Amino acid sequence: METKTSSNIRVDVRGEICPYPMMIAEATMKRTKGNEMIEVLTDHAPALSTIPTQARKLGFAYKIEPSGSAEWRILLWREPKSS
Amino acid sequence: MEVALPEARGRAVRQSIPRQSVIAVAALVIAIGLAVVMSRTEAILVPLWFLGMGAGFALQRSRFCFASAFRDLFLFGESRVMKGVLVGIGVTTLGFAIIMYNKVPFPAFGALPDEAHILPVGLSTVIGGLLFGFGMVLAGGCVSGSLYRMAEGYIGSWVSMGGILIGLGLISQTWNGWWNIFVSYEPKIWLPATLNLGYGGGVALTLVALLAAFLFVLWWESRSGMAVARVVEPEVPDSTFAEKVRAVWRRIFVHGWSAIAGGAVLGFINVLMYMTHMPWGVTGELTRWSNALMSSAGFAPPTLLGLSDVGGCAARAAESGLFTHTFAVTVGLLVGAWVGALFAGEFKPRFPRNARRYVQSLGGGIVMGYGSGLAIGCTIGAFFSSIPSLSISGWLFAVALAGGAFVGTKALRLLS
Repeated sequence: METKTSSNIRVDVRGEICPYPMMIAEATMKRTKGNEMIEVLTDHAPALSTIPTQARKLGFAYKIEPSGSAEWRILLWREPKSS
Repeated sequence: MEVALPEARGRAVRQSIPRQSVIAVAALVIAIGLAVVMSRTEAILVPLWFLGMGAGFALQRSRFCFASAFRDLFLFGESRVMKGVLVGIGVTTLGFAIIMYNKVPFPAFGALPDEAHILPVGLSTVIGGLLFGFGMVLAGGCVSGSLYRMAEGYIGSWVSMGGILIGLGLISQTWNGWWNIFVSYEPKIWLPATLNLGYGGGVALTLVALLAAFLFVLWWESRSGMAVARVVEPEVPDSTFAEKVRAVWRRIFVHGWSAIAGGAVLGFINVLMYMTHMPWGVTGELTRWSNALMSSAGFAPPTLLGLSDVGGCAARAAESGLFTHTFAVTVGLLVGAWVGALFAGEFKPRFPRNARRYVQSLGGGIVMGYGSGLAIGCTIGAFFSSIPSLSISGWLFAVALAGGAFVGTKALRLLS
């Protein structure tokens, strides 16, 4: 369930069983080379700690916001290289 | 990288949480009522029921998933849950040692403490662990994980549970063959009675091995470049009494717990369960259900050989009646996890949209159910309760679980 616009990649993993929300988010981050904003929609609470952990490892910044009852939006974007 | 978690926005979010809390309170009232009903059958069911609920609550709050503990080592190089598992086993080991010492003060005389999960060690442990490890990763949760996720509304976990019951039925039908060829020849190795170790040696050896495992997973994490991200909560005012109460409430009932806190709480609950009657286990009750279902369909399993003295979860599978000790612990887990999910506002029916997931959950469940029957317990009974029983079987099962989980992660990628 991936929709792509010019600077936004939206990944909807609602309903997915463990561990696919994390796997799909990780794969999307690895594919994203530019400075697009990745938006992950999930209803899998464990992903709220595992996706940020993967993001940190891959050099992405993240932001989590609740987007409904037991649903969250995780925003991921590549951190600018710090000198 | 630290980012503040914004407060819930929008009316939909703010309104849905109290509604779930109302249902949670209603569920608690019904649970207390059921405890009163059960106390008429047997008084001991009441503490077991509440301990089961406590375990379910702790599993849900700390997202304590044994499948992810093993799987994420291979999948992400991460060991958040595994560290919690090791801490929980350490806590349980100390408590179990005291209980077992009171039952059998002189281990060298050859008696084993009753109810301790000291299981046969052999090929059945290895095959059971490999099957279980593979199945739990494929299904996205082990037996206890599937139970608490059922309570959170994951439909895939309901399908897994169906598979687990089928797998347990298949092992009941084929158990006698395994017994005759392997299990009846396999020894039970209890550390305090081995090489003059005694309780001191058995506990010390177990704790050193747990510490070594803990250091190993830290090294494993460092090798993968893993660094755990901290999600910082926004500053919440907590000066008034009401605000302080609210802050404590949110810490316990709304925010997820750390896996280490969850493991320690689960270890403590496990000790209390053994003090009450028996170590924590869930497959005994599920085996009872599976056998009852098969019997009512006209496929009653044959008389199972050796199960009365094999111990662990198997010993309890023969109990009859609705309100058994295993019923209290296993169904209590479901209710406790449901209450936890409701208070946190995390309950929601979740239907996988990819049809493949249903097949995967069912197949993983069947393989896992069969493996748990063969190993005489799941990640709880044959691992989380077995290592603290100072039994070698728990360690061998753990190694086999890791092997099965490794193969499972390969299958996961193929099916994504």
